[in-house]
Amino acid sequence: MIELNNVSKTFQQNRPNECQALRGIDLHLERGGITVFKGPSGSGKTTLLTLIGCLARPTAGRIMLGGRLLSNLPERFLTEVRRHTFGFVFQQFNLIRGLTVLENVMLPAYPLGRPHRELTDAAQALLERFGLGVKTLDKVEWLSGGEAQRTALARALINDPAVLIADEPTANLDSALSREVLALLGELATQGRTVLISSHDPLVFEAAQVDRIIEMHDGQIVGDRRC
Amino acid sequence: MLITPAIVALQGIAFSVTGAVLLASGFAWRILRHWDIHSGSELQLRLERQTYLIATLLGFALGAELLSLLLFVHTAESLSSQFVGAMCATGVLNVNAFGFPTLLLKIAVFFLATLWLLLNRVDNRGYDYPLVRVKYGLLLVIAPLTLAEGTVQTGYFLGLKPEVITSCCGSLFSSDNQGVAAELAGLPPGPTLALFYAIALFLAAGGVAFLRWLQLGPLFAMISLLGFAVAIAAIIAFLSPYVYENPNHHCPFCLLKAGYDYVGYALYPPLFAAAAVGLSAGVIAPFRHIVSLQAVIPKEVRWLTKLALAGFGLFYGLATWLLLRSNLILLG
Repeated sequence: MIELNNVSKTFQQNRPNECQALRGIDLHLERGGITVFKGPSGSGKTTLLTLIGCLARPTAGRIMLGGRLLSNLPERFLTEVRRHTFGFVFQQFNLIRGLTVLENVMLPAYPLGRPHRELTDAAQALLERFGLGVKTLDKVEWLSGGEAQRTALARALINDPAVLIADEPTANLDSALSREVLALLGELATQGRTVLISSHDPLVFEAAQVDRIIEMHDGQIVGDRRC
Repeated sequence: MLITPAIVALQGIAFSVTGAVLLASGFAWRILRHWDIHSGSELQLRLERQTYLIATLLGFALGAELLSLLLFVHTAESLSSQFVGAMCATGVLNVNAFGFPTLLLKIAVFFLATLWLLLNRVDNRGYDYPLVRVKYGLLLVIAPLTLAEGTVQTGYFLGLKPEVITSCCGSLFSSDNQGVAAELAGLPPGPTLALFYAIALFLAAGGVAFLRWLQLGPLFAMISLLGFAVAIAAIIAFLSPYVYENPNHHCPFCLLKAGYDYVGYALYPPLFAAAAVGLSAGVIAPFRHIVSLQAVIPKEVRWLTKLALAGFGLFYGLATWLLLRSNLILLG
Protein backbone atom coordinates (compact mmCIF):
# COMPACT_ATOMS: atom_id res chain seq x y z
CA MET A 1 0.00 0.00 0.00
CA ILE A 2 2.75 2.46 0.99
CA GLU A 3 6.17 2.20 -0.58
CA LEU A 4 9.28 4.23 0.14
CA ASN A 5 12.20 4.15 -2.27
CA ASN A 6 15.56 5.49 -1.17
CA VAL A 7 13.97 8.22 0.96
CA SER A 8 16.24 10.71 2.71
CA LYS A 9 15.46 13.79 4.75
CA THR A 10 17.96 16.45 5.65
CA PHE A 11 17.14 19.48 7.78
CA GLN A 12 19.09 22.76 7.44
CA GLN A 13 20.71 21.43 4.30
CA ASN A 14 24.07 22.95 3.33
CA ARG A 15 24.27 24.85 6.60
CA PRO A 16 26.68 24.28 9.47
CA ASN A 17 23.86 22.77 11.56
CA GLU A 18 22.78 20.33 8.81
CA CYS A 19 21.03 17.27 10.22
CA GLN A 20 20.40 14.13 8.19
CA ALA A 21 17.29 12.66 9.84
CA LEU A 22 16.70 9.82 7.35
CA ARG A 23 19.17 8.05 5.07
CA GLY A 24 18.07 6.01 2.06
CA ILE A 25 14.99 4.36 3.53
CA ASP A 26 13.45 1.53 1.45
CA LEU A 27 10.22 0.19 2.92
CA HIS A 28 7.00 -1.50 1.91
CA LEU A 29 3.97 -1.28 4.20
CA GLU A 30 0.95 -3.51 3.51
CA ARG A 31 -2.65 -2.49 4.07
CA GLY A 32 -4.04 -3.14 7.57
CA GLY A 33 -2.38 -4.12 10.83
CA ILE A 34 -0.29 -2.21 13.33
CA THR A 35 3.29 -1.36 12.46
CA VAL A 36 5.46 0.09 15.17
CA PHE A 37 8.55 2.17 14.42
CA LYS A 38 10.87 1.57 17.32
CA GLY A 39 14.04 3.40 18.18
CA PRO A 40 15.69 5.92 20.47
CA SER A 41 15.02 9.65 20.28
CA GLY A 42 16.60 11.10 17.15
CA SER A 43 16.46 7.83 15.24
CA GLY A 44 14.11 9.32 12.61
CA LYS A 45 10.80 7.66 13.59
CA THR A 46 8.73 10.84 13.73
CA THR A 47 10.38 12.28 10.61
CA LEU A 48 9.57 9.11 8.70
CA LEU A 49 5.92 9.25 9.81
CA THR A 50 5.61 12.92 8.83
CA LEU A 51 6.91 12.04 5.34
CA ILE A 52 4.53 9.10 4.99
CA GLY A 53 1.65 11.28 6.20
CA CYS A 54 2.51 14.06 3.69
CA LEU A 55 3.20 16.56 6.45
CA ALA A 56 6.67 17.11 4.97
CA ARG A 57 8.49 16.31 1.76
CA PRO A 58 11.60 14.15 1.46
CA THR A 59 14.91 15.68 0.43
CA ALA A 60 15.42 12.77 -1.95
CA GLY A 61 13.58 9.57 -2.86
CA ARG A 62 9.99 8.75 -3.65
CA ILE A 63 6.95 7.74 -1.61
CA MET A 64 4.09 5.90 -3.29
CA LEU A 65 0.59 5.28 -2.02
CA GLY A 66 -1.39 2.53 -3.72
CA GLY A 67 0.92 2.68 -6.74
CA ARG A 68 0.59 6.45 -7.12
CA LEU A 69 3.51 8.78 -6.56
CA LEU A 70 2.79 10.79 -3.46
CA SER A 71 5.91 12.72 -2.60
CA ASN A 72 5.99 14.80 -5.79
CA LEU A 73 2.35 15.87 -5.77
CA PRO A 74 1.72 19.61 -5.96
CA GLU A 75 0.56 21.01 -2.63
CA ARG A 76 -3.15 21.21 -3.47
CA PHE A 77 -3.26 17.50 -4.35
CA LEU A 78 -1.18 16.60 -1.34
CA THR A 79 -3.65 18.42 0.92
CA GLU A 80 -6.50 16.35 -0.52
CA VAL A 81 -4.60 13.08 0.01
CA ARG A 82 -3.70 14.12 3.54
CA ARG A 83 -7.29 14.95 4.41
CA HIS A 84 -8.80 11.77 3.01
CA THR A 85 -6.12 9.17 3.61
CA PHE A 86 -4.35 10.00 6.86
CA GLY A 87 -5.41 10.63 10.41
CA PHE A 88 -2.87 11.92 12.90
CA VAL A 89 -2.48 11.50 16.65
CA PHE A 90 0.30 13.71 17.91
CA GLN A 91 2.51 13.10 20.92
CA GLN A 92 1.27 16.25 22.66
CA PHE A 93 -2.30 15.63 21.34
CA ASN A 94 -2.42 19.18 19.88
CA LEU A 95 -6.03 19.70 20.93
CA ILE A 96 -7.24 23.28 20.60
CA ARG A 97 -7.70 24.81 24.02
CA GLY A 98 -10.87 26.84 24.49
CA LEU A 99 -12.87 24.56 22.18
CA THR A 100 -15.05 21.72 23.36
CA VAL A 101 -14.27 18.05 22.86
CA LEU A 102 -16.92 17.86 20.14
CA GLU A 103 -15.57 20.93 18.32
CA ASN A 104 -12.04 19.55 18.42
CA VAL A 105 -13.15 16.28 16.89
CA MET A 106 -15.13 18.03 14.15
CA LEU A 107 -12.34 20.44 13.23
CA PRO A 108 -10.43 18.38 10.58
CA ALA A 109 -13.68 17.75 8.71
CA TYR A 110 -14.63 21.41 8.22
CA PRO A 111 -12.61 21.90 5.00
CA LEU A 112 -14.47 18.98 3.39
CA GLY A 113 -17.78 20.80 3.66
CA ARG A 114 -19.84 17.93 5.05
CA PRO A 115 -23.35 18.91 6.26
CA HIS A 116 -23.08 20.14 9.84
CA ARG A 117 -25.72 17.79 11.21
CA GLU A 118 -24.08 14.74 9.62
CA LEU A 119 -20.69 15.84 10.92
CA THR A 120 -21.97 16.41 14.46
CA ASP A 121 -23.58 12.96 14.47
CA ALA A 122 -20.36 11.32 13.20
CA ALA A 123 -18.25 13.11 15.84
CA GLN A 124 -20.69 12.18 18.60
CA ALA A 125 -20.74 8.55 17.49
CA LEU A 126 -16.93 8.43 17.63
CA LEU A 127 -16.89 10.00 21.08
CA GLU A 128 -19.51 7.52 22.30
CA ARG A 129 -17.41 4.68 20.91
CA PHE A 130 -14.38 5.90 22.84
CA GLY A 131 -16.33 6.37 26.06
CA LEU A 132 -16.40 10.16 25.90
CA GLY A 133 -20.12 10.61 25.26
CA VAL A 134 -20.64 12.58 28.45
CA LYS A 135 -17.68 14.86 27.77
CA THR A 136 -18.68 16.21 24.37
CA LEU A 137 -19.41 19.72 25.61
CA ASP A 138 -16.45 19.92 28.02
CA LYS A 139 -13.51 22.13 27.18
CA VAL A 140 -10.48 20.03 26.25
CA GLU A 141 -8.34 21.59 28.98
CA TRP A 142 -10.59 19.92 31.57
CA LEU A 143 -9.78 16.40 30.27
CA SER A 144 -7.46 13.87 31.88
CA GLY A 145 -4.49 12.52 29.89
CA GLY A 146 -6.38 9.39 28.82
CA GLU A 147 -9.45 11.35 27.80
CA ALA A 148 -7.34 13.81 25.82
CA GLN A 149 -5.63 10.92 24.05
CA ARG A 150 -8.98 9.33 23.13
CA THR A 151 -10.26 12.72 21.95
CA ALA A 152 -7.19 13.02 19.73
CA LEU A 153 -7.88 9.54 18.41
CA ALA A 154 -11.51 10.41 17.65
CA ARG A 155 -10.35 13.55 15.87
CA ALA A 156 -7.91 11.53 13.78
CA LEU A 157 -10.76 9.27 12.67
CA ILE A 158 -13.37 11.89 11.81
CA ASN A 159 -12.52 11.84 8.09
CA ASP A 160 -12.50 8.03 8.08
CA PRO A 161 -8.84 7.73 6.99
CA ALA A 162 -7.34 4.51 5.67
CA VAL A 163 -4.11 5.15 7.56
CA LEU A 164 -3.83 6.24 11.16
CA ILE A 165 -0.48 7.69 12.22
CA ALA A 166 0.22 7.94 15.94
CA ASP A 167 3.41 9.55 17.19
CA GLU A 168 4.38 8.22 20.62
CA PRO A 169 0.70 7.66 21.55
CA THR A 170 1.50 6.36 25.02
CA ALA A 171 4.22 8.84 25.95
CA ASN A 172 1.98 10.78 28.34
CA LEU A 173 -0.08 7.89 29.66
CA ASP A 174 0.31 5.43 32.51
CA SER A 175 0.42 1.68 31.81
CA ALA A 176 -3.33 1.11 32.23
CA LEU A 177 -4.24 3.95 29.88
CA SER A 178 -1.54 2.87 27.43
CA ARG A 179 -3.08 -0.61 27.24
CA GLU A 180 -6.50 0.96 26.73
CA VAL A 181 -5.20 3.05 23.80
CA LEU A 182 -3.43 0.03 22.30
CA ALA A 183 -6.66 -1.95 22.52
CA LEU A 184 -8.46 0.80 20.65
CA LEU A 185 -5.74 0.91 17.99
CA GLY A 186 -5.90 -2.89 17.69
CA GLU A 187 -9.64 -2.65 17.16
CA LEU A 188 -9.11 -0.11 14.36
CA ALA A 189 -6.48 -2.35 12.72
CA THR A 190 -8.80 -5.35 12.73
CA GLN A 191 -11.37 -3.17 10.94
CA GLY A 192 -8.90 -2.81 8.06
CA ARG A 193 -7.14 0.43 8.87
CA THR A 194 -3.37 0.68 8.61
CA VAL A 195 -2.01 1.91 11.93
CA LEU A 196 1.53 3.29 12.05
CA ILE A 197 2.97 4.05 15.46
CA SER A 198 6.28 5.52 16.50
CA SER A 199 7.32 4.59 19.98
CA HIS A 200 10.18 3.76 22.28
CA ASP A 201 7.81 2.41 24.92
CA PRO A 202 8.36 -1.37 25.47
CA LEU A 203 4.69 -1.66 26.39
CA VAL A 204 3.82 -0.74 22.80
CA PHE A 205 6.14 -2.99 20.84
CA GLU A 206 5.52 -5.91 23.20
CA ALA A 207 1.73 -5.56 22.83
CA ALA A 208 -0.19 -8.45 21.30
CA GLN A 209 -1.96 -6.17 18.84
CA VAL A 210 1.28 -5.24 17.01
CA ASP A 211 1.87 -6.97 13.67
CA ARG A 212 5.25 -5.60 12.66
CA ILE A 213 8.12 -3.87 14.37
CA ILE A 214 10.58 -1.77 12.41
CA GLU A 215 13.65 -0.75 14.33
CA MET A 216 15.42 2.48 13.49
CA HIS A 217 18.74 3.97 14.42
CA ASP A 218 20.50 7.11 13.13
CA GLY A 219 17.96 7.58 10.34
CA GLN A 220 18.23 4.04 9.02
CA ILE A 221 16.20 0.87 9.36
CA VAL A 222 18.26 -1.62 11.36
CA GLY A 223 15.61 -4.26 12.01
CA ASP A 224 12.29 -5.44 10.59
CA ARG A 225 10.35 -8.10 12.47
CA ARG A 226 6.85 -9.48 11.95
CA CYS A 227 5.02 -10.61 15.07
CA MET B 1 13.47 62.94 -19.38
CA LEU B 2 10.01 63.67 -18.01
CA ILE B 3 9.21 62.22 -14.61
CA THR B 4 5.57 61.55 -13.85
CA PRO B 5 4.05 58.99 -11.47
CA ALA B 6 2.96 56.86 -14.46
CA ILE B 7 6.48 56.83 -15.95
CA VAL B 8 7.96 55.89 -12.58
CA ALA B 9 5.36 53.11 -12.28
CA LEU B 10 6.04 51.85 -15.80
CA GLN B 11 9.80 51.81 -15.20
CA GLY B 12 9.23 50.10 -11.85
CA ILE B 13 7.16 47.42 -13.58
CA ALA B 14 9.74 47.05 -16.37
CA PHE B 15 12.66 46.61 -13.95
CA SER B 16 10.70 44.24 -11.71
CA VAL B 17 9.39 42.13 -14.57
CA THR B 18 12.74 41.97 -16.35
CA GLY B 19 14.48 41.07 -13.11
CA ALA B 20 11.93 38.40 -12.22
CA VAL B 21 11.87 36.91 -15.70
CA LEU B 22 15.67 36.82 -16.00
CA LEU B 23 15.91 35.25 -12.56
CA ALA B 24 13.33 32.66 -13.56
CA SER B 25 15.09 32.01 -16.86
CA GLY B 26 18.03 30.43 -15.08
CA PHE B 27 15.57 28.18 -13.30
CA ALA B 28 13.76 27.48 -16.58
CA TRP B 29 17.01 26.36 -18.15
CA ARG B 30 17.62 23.95 -15.26
CA ILE B 31 14.07 22.62 -15.64
CA LEU B 32 14.58 21.97 -19.35
CA ARG B 33 17.91 20.25 -18.74
CA HIS B 34 17.28 18.25 -15.58
CA TRP B 35 13.52 17.76 -15.05
CA ASP B 36 12.65 14.07 -14.70
CA ILE B 37 9.37 13.40 -12.93
CA HIS B 38 10.30 9.72 -12.48
CA SER B 39 13.45 10.53 -10.60
CA GLY B 40 13.57 10.87 -6.82
CA SER B 41 16.91 12.65 -6.90
CA GLU B 42 17.62 15.55 -4.60
CA LEU B 43 17.86 17.90 -7.58
CA GLN B 44 14.47 16.82 -8.95
CA LEU B 45 12.79 17.31 -5.58
CA ARG B 46 14.41 20.73 -5.24
CA LEU B 47 13.14 21.71 -8.70
CA GLU B 48 9.63 20.54 -7.75
CA ARG B 49 9.67 22.70 -4.62
CA GLN B 50 11.16 25.74 -6.35
CA THR B 51 8.70 25.68 -9.23
CA TYR B 52 5.94 26.86 -6.84
CA LEU B 53 7.92 29.89 -5.79
CA ILE B 54 9.09 30.77 -9.31
CA ALA B 55 5.62 30.30 -10.85
CA THR B 56 4.02 32.48 -8.17
CA LEU B 57 6.62 35.19 -8.69
CA LEU B 58 6.12 35.05 -12.45
CA GLY B 59 2.35 35.14 -12.02
CA PHE B 60 2.58 38.53 -10.32
CA ALA B 61 5.29 39.83 -12.68
CA LEU B 62 3.49 38.88 -15.89
CA GLY B 63 0.15 40.03 -14.47
CA ALA B 64 1.73 43.46 -13.94
CA GLU B 65 3.08 43.28 -17.49
CA LEU B 66 -0.48 42.91 -18.85
CA LEU B 67 -1.57 46.04 -17.01
CA SER B 68 1.51 47.95 -18.12
CA LEU B 69 0.35 47.90 -21.76
CA LEU B 70 -2.78 49.82 -20.84
CA LEU B 71 -0.82 52.16 -18.56
CA PHE B 72 1.77 52.80 -21.27
CA VAL B 73 -0.83 53.79 -23.86
CA HIS B 74 -2.70 55.91 -21.31
CA THR B 75 0.59 57.62 -20.31
CA ALA B 76 1.48 58.35 -23.93
CA GLU B 77 -1.97 59.83 -24.44
CA SER B 78 -1.84 61.90 -21.24
CA LEU B 79 1.59 63.36 -22.17
CA SER B 80 0.35 64.69 -25.51
CA SER B 81 -0.11 68.20 -24.11
CA GLN B 82 3.60 68.34 -23.16
CA PHE B 83 5.01 68.17 -26.68
CA VAL B 84 4.72 70.67 -29.45
CA GLY B 85 3.04 69.04 -32.41
CA ALA B 86 1.57 66.11 -30.51
CA MET B 87 -2.21 65.92 -30.58
CA CYS B 88 -2.49 62.42 -29.10
CA ALA B 89 -0.40 59.37 -28.14
CA THR B 90 0.88 59.07 -31.72
CA GLY B 91 2.84 62.31 -31.42
CA VAL B 92 4.23 61.32 -28.03
CA LEU B 93 5.29 57.90 -29.34
CA ASN B 94 6.96 59.70 -32.24
CA VAL B 95 9.07 61.95 -30.02
CA ASN B 96 11.97 59.54 -30.47
CA ALA B 97 12.74 56.29 -32.28
CA PHE B 98 11.91 54.08 -29.28
CA GLY B 99 8.19 54.92 -28.83
CA PHE B 100 6.55 52.60 -31.33
CA PRO B 101 9.06 49.73 -30.84
CA THR B 102 8.20 49.86 -27.11
CA LEU B 103 4.49 49.66 -27.92
CA LEU B 104 4.96 46.74 -30.34
CA LEU B 105 7.15 44.85 -27.86
CA LYS B 106 4.57 45.45 -25.14
CA ILE B 107 1.84 44.02 -27.36
CA ALA B 108 3.95 40.94 -28.18
CA VAL B 109 4.74 40.39 -24.48
CA PHE B 110 1.05 40.93 -23.64
CA PHE B 111 0.04 37.97 -25.83
CA LEU B 112 2.87 35.70 -24.67
CA ALA B 113 2.36 36.63 -21.01
CA THR B 114 -1.35 35.79 -21.25
CA LEU B 115 -0.45 32.45 -22.80
CA TRP B 116 2.11 31.76 -20.06
CA LEU B 117 -0.33 32.66 -17.28
CA LEU B 118 -3.02 30.40 -18.70
CA LEU B 119 -0.56 27.54 -19.30
CA ASN B 120 0.56 27.94 -15.69
CA ARG B 121 -3.07 27.90 -14.51
CA VAL B 122 -3.69 24.62 -16.33
CA ASP B 123 -0.35 23.12 -15.26
CA ASN B 124 -1.12 23.81 -11.61
CA ARG B 125 -4.25 21.69 -11.90
CA GLY B 126 -2.40 18.57 -13.06
CA TYR B 127 -0.99 16.30 -10.36
CA ASP B 128 2.29 15.59 -12.17
CA TYR B 129 3.43 19.04 -13.43
CA PRO B 130 2.29 18.10 -16.96
CA LEU B 131 3.19 21.37 -18.73
CA VAL B 132 6.24 22.32 -16.73
CA ARG B 133 8.63 22.02 -19.69
CA VAL B 134 6.24 23.82 -22.03
CA LYS B 135 5.72 26.80 -19.75
CA TYR B 136 9.38 27.20 -18.88
CA GLY B 137 10.31 26.78 -22.53
CA LEU B 138 7.89 29.61 -23.31
CA LEU B 139 9.47 31.66 -20.56
CA LEU B 140 12.80 31.47 -22.38
CA VAL B 141 11.05 33.03 -25.39
CA ILE B 142 9.45 35.74 -23.24
CA ALA B 143 12.68 36.60 -21.38
CA PRO B 144 14.58 38.30 -24.26
CA LEU B 145 11.41 40.15 -25.24
CA THR B 146 10.90 41.57 -21.74
CA LEU B 147 14.58 42.51 -21.60
CA ALA B 148 14.27 44.24 -24.97
CA GLU B 149 11.04 45.90 -23.91
CA GLY B 150 12.54 47.18 -20.66
CA THR B 151 15.63 48.47 -22.46
CA VAL B 152 13.71 50.14 -25.29
CA GLN B 153 11.17 51.65 -22.88
CA THR B 154 13.98 53.07 -20.73
CA GLY B 155 15.56 54.53 -23.88
CA TYR B 156 12.20 55.97 -24.84
CA PHE B 157 11.51 57.67 -21.52
CA LEU B 158 15.11 58.93 -21.26
CA GLY B 159 14.72 60.46 -24.69
CA LEU B 160 11.47 62.28 -23.92
CA LYS B 161 12.68 65.84 -24.36
CA PRO B 162 9.95 68.50 -24.16
CA GLU B 163 11.77 70.76 -26.61
CA VAL B 164 11.40 68.18 -29.39
CA ILE B 165 8.83 69.17 -31.99
CA THR B 166 7.01 66.03 -32.96
CA SER B 167 4.54 65.17 -35.68
CA CYS B 168 0.86 64.57 -35.11
CA CYS B 169 -1.22 61.57 -36.06
CA GLY B 170 -2.44 63.27 -39.22
CA SER B 171 0.96 62.82 -40.86
CA LEU B 172 1.52 59.22 -39.76
CA PHE B 173 -1.95 57.82 -40.44
CA SER B 174 -2.38 59.46 -43.79
CA SER B 175 -2.92 57.57 -47.01
CA ASP B 176 -0.55 60.03 -48.71
CA ASN B 177 2.33 58.93 -46.50
CA GLN B 178 4.69 55.89 -46.58
CA GLY B 179 4.75 52.92 -44.20
CA VAL B 180 2.45 50.35 -42.62
CA ALA B 181 0.28 52.94 -40.84
CA ALA B 182 -0.24 54.84 -44.08
CA GLU B 183 -0.98 51.61 -45.94
CA LEU B 184 -3.63 50.72 -43.34
CA ALA B 185 -5.10 54.22 -43.48
CA GLY B 186 -5.29 53.91 -47.23
CA LEU B 187 -7.24 50.65 -47.25
CA PRO B 188 -10.51 50.98 -49.17
CA PRO B 189 -13.36 51.27 -46.63
CA GLY B 190 -15.86 49.04 -48.48
CA PRO B 191 -13.78 45.86 -48.84
CA THR B 192 -12.23 46.38 -45.38
CA LEU B 193 -15.70 46.64 -43.84
CA ALA B 194 -16.75 43.46 -45.67
CA LEU B 195 -13.59 41.68 -44.45
CA PHE B 196 -14.18 43.00 -40.92
CA TYR B 197 -17.64 41.41 -40.72
CA ALA B 198 -16.58 38.29 -42.65
CA ILE B 199 -13.91 37.70 -39.99
CA ALA B 200 -16.59 38.21 -37.33
CA LEU B 201 -18.60 35.38 -38.87
CA PHE B 202 -15.45 33.30 -39.21
CA LEU B 203 -14.63 33.91 -35.54
CA ALA B 204 -18.12 32.98 -34.41
CA ALA B 205 -18.23 29.85 -36.59
CA GLY B 206 -14.67 28.89 -35.62
CA GLY B 207 -15.45 29.41 -31.93
CA VAL B 208 -18.64 27.35 -32.02
CA ALA B 209 -16.86 24.58 -33.96
CA PHE B 210 -13.95 24.68 -31.52
CA LEU B 211 -16.34 24.33 -28.59
CA ARG B 212 -17.62 21.15 -30.25
CA TRP B 213 -14.33 19.76 -31.65
CA LEU B 214 -11.33 20.58 -29.52
CA GLN B 215 -8.92 19.33 -32.19
CA LEU B 216 -9.60 22.64 -33.97
CA GLY B 217 -7.48 24.44 -31.34
CA PRO B 218 -4.64 25.58 -33.63
CA LEU B 219 -7.18 26.85 -36.17
CA PHE B 220 -9.04 28.88 -33.53
CA ALA B 221 -5.72 30.29 -32.31
CA MET B 222 -4.94 31.47 -35.84
CA ILE B 223 -8.45 32.88 -36.35
CA SER B 224 -8.13 34.82 -33.09
CA LEU B 225 -4.85 36.38 -34.21
CA LEU B 226 -6.27 37.07 -37.67
CA GLY B 227 -9.36 38.63 -36.07
CA PHE B 228 -7.11 40.87 -33.99
CA ALA B 229 -5.06 41.99 -37.00
CA VAL B 230 -8.15 42.67 -39.11
CA ALA B 231 -9.79 44.55 -36.23
CA ILE B 232 -6.76 46.85 -35.84
CA ALA B 233 -6.71 47.40 -39.61
CA ALA B 234 -10.45 48.13 -39.57
CA ILE B 235 -10.08 50.63 -36.73
CA ILE B 236 -7.49 52.54 -38.75
CA ALA B 237 -9.14 52.14 -42.15
CA PHE B 238 -12.75 53.05 -41.41
CA LEU B 239 -13.86 52.83 -37.77
CA SER B 240 -11.78 55.82 -36.63
CA PRO B 241 -13.07 58.11 -39.43
CA TYR B 242 -16.62 57.10 -38.50
CA VAL B 243 -16.02 57.93 -34.81
CA TYR B 244 -14.32 61.27 -35.65
CA GLU B 245 -16.82 61.87 -38.46
CA ASN B 246 -13.87 62.92 -40.60
CA PRO B 247 -12.88 60.79 -43.63
CA ASN B 248 -9.20 61.83 -43.35
CA HIS B 249 -8.69 61.20 -39.63
CA HIS B 250 -7.50 57.59 -39.19
CA CYS B 251 -5.63 57.73 -35.87
CA PRO B 252 -6.34 54.73 -33.59
CA PHE B 253 -5.05 56.67 -30.55
CA CYS B 254 -7.39 59.66 -30.68
CA LEU B 255 -10.14 57.21 -29.70
CA LEU B 256 -8.69 57.48 -26.19
CA LYS B 257 -9.45 61.21 -26.00
CA ALA B 258 -12.18 62.81 -23.90
CA GLY B 259 -13.53 64.49 -27.04
CA TYR B 260 -14.52 61.05 -28.32
CA ASP B 261 -15.94 59.84 -25.01
CA TYR B 262 -12.82 57.79 -24.21
CA VAL B 263 -14.34 55.17 -26.47
CA GLY B 264 -10.94 53.55 -27.07
CA TYR B 265 -10.83 52.43 -23.43
CA ALA B 266 -14.01 50.44 -24.05
CA LEU B 267 -12.97 49.22 -27.50
CA TYR B 268 -9.39 47.99 -27.04
CA PRO B 269 -9.41 45.96 -23.78
CA PRO B 270 -12.05 43.42 -24.95
CA LEU B 271 -10.30 43.11 -28.32
CA PHE B 272 -6.84 42.51 -26.84
CA ALA B 273 -8.16 40.21 -24.12
CA ALA B 274 -10.30 38.20 -26.56
CA ALA B 275 -7.44 37.72 -29.01
CA ALA B 276 -4.95 36.72 -26.29
CA VAL B 277 -7.40 34.36 -24.59
CA GLY B 278 -8.53 32.85 -27.92
CA LEU B 279 -4.91 32.31 -28.95
CA SER B 280 -4.15 30.68 -25.58
CA ALA B 281 -7.23 28.42 -25.70
CA GLY B 282 -6.17 27.18 -29.12
CA VAL B 283 -2.59 26.56 -28.01
CA ILE B 284 -3.62 24.77 -24.79
CA ALA B 285 -6.23 22.49 -26.41
CA PRO B 286 -3.73 20.02 -27.97
CA PHE B 287 -2.47 19.12 -24.48
CA ARG B 288 -5.86 17.61 -23.56
CA HIS B 289 -4.54 14.07 -24.15
CA ILE B 290 -2.15 14.26 -21.21
CA VAL B 291 -3.65 11.88 -18.64
CA SER B 292 -3.55 14.27 -15.70
CA LEU B 293 -5.18 17.02 -17.79
CA GLN B 294 -7.88 14.98 -19.50
CA ALA B 295 -10.53 16.24 -17.11
CA VAL B 296 -9.13 19.76 -16.80
CA ILE B 297 -8.38 21.00 -20.32
CA PRO B 298 -11.71 20.43 -22.12
CA LYS B 299 -13.54 22.39 -19.41
CA GLU B 300 -10.90 25.10 -19.19
CA VAL B 301 -10.53 25.52 -22.95
CA ARG B 302 -14.30 25.73 -23.50
CA TRP B 303 -14.54 28.38 -20.79
CA LEU B 304 -11.67 30.35 -22.34
CA THR B 305 -13.24 30.07 -25.79
CA LYS B 306 -16.53 31.43 -24.49
CA LEU B 307 -14.60 34.24 -22.83
CA ALA B 308 -12.79 35.03 -26.10
CA LEU B 309 -16.06 34.96 -28.07
CA ALA B 310 -17.66 37.25 -25.49
CA GLY B 311 -14.73 39.68 -25.82
CA PHE B 312 -14.90 39.69 -29.60
CA GLY B 313 -18.68 40.04 -29.36
CA LEU B 314 -18.32 43.05 -27.10
CA PHE B 315 -15.79 44.63 -29.46
CA TYR B 316 -17.88 44.01 -32.57
CA GLY B 317 -21.05 45.17 -30.84
CA LEU B 318 -19.43 48.42 -29.77
CA ALA B 319 -17.78 48.93 -33.17
CA THR B 320 -21.12 48.40 -34.94
CA TRP B 321 -22.86 50.84 -32.61
CA LEU B 322 -20.14 53.44 -33.30
CA LEU B 323 -20.63 52.97 -37.07
CA LEU B 324 -24.40 53.25 -36.81
CA ARG B 325 -24.45 56.35 -34.62
CA SER B 326 -21.97 58.25 -36.83
CA ASN B 327 -23.09 61.02 -39.18
CA LEU B 328 -20.28 60.20 -41.59
CA ILE B 329 -21.17 58.42 -44.81
CA LEU B 330 -18.14 56.74 -46.39
CA LEU B 331 -20.04 53.93 -48.06
CA GLY B 332 -22.88 54.24 -50.55
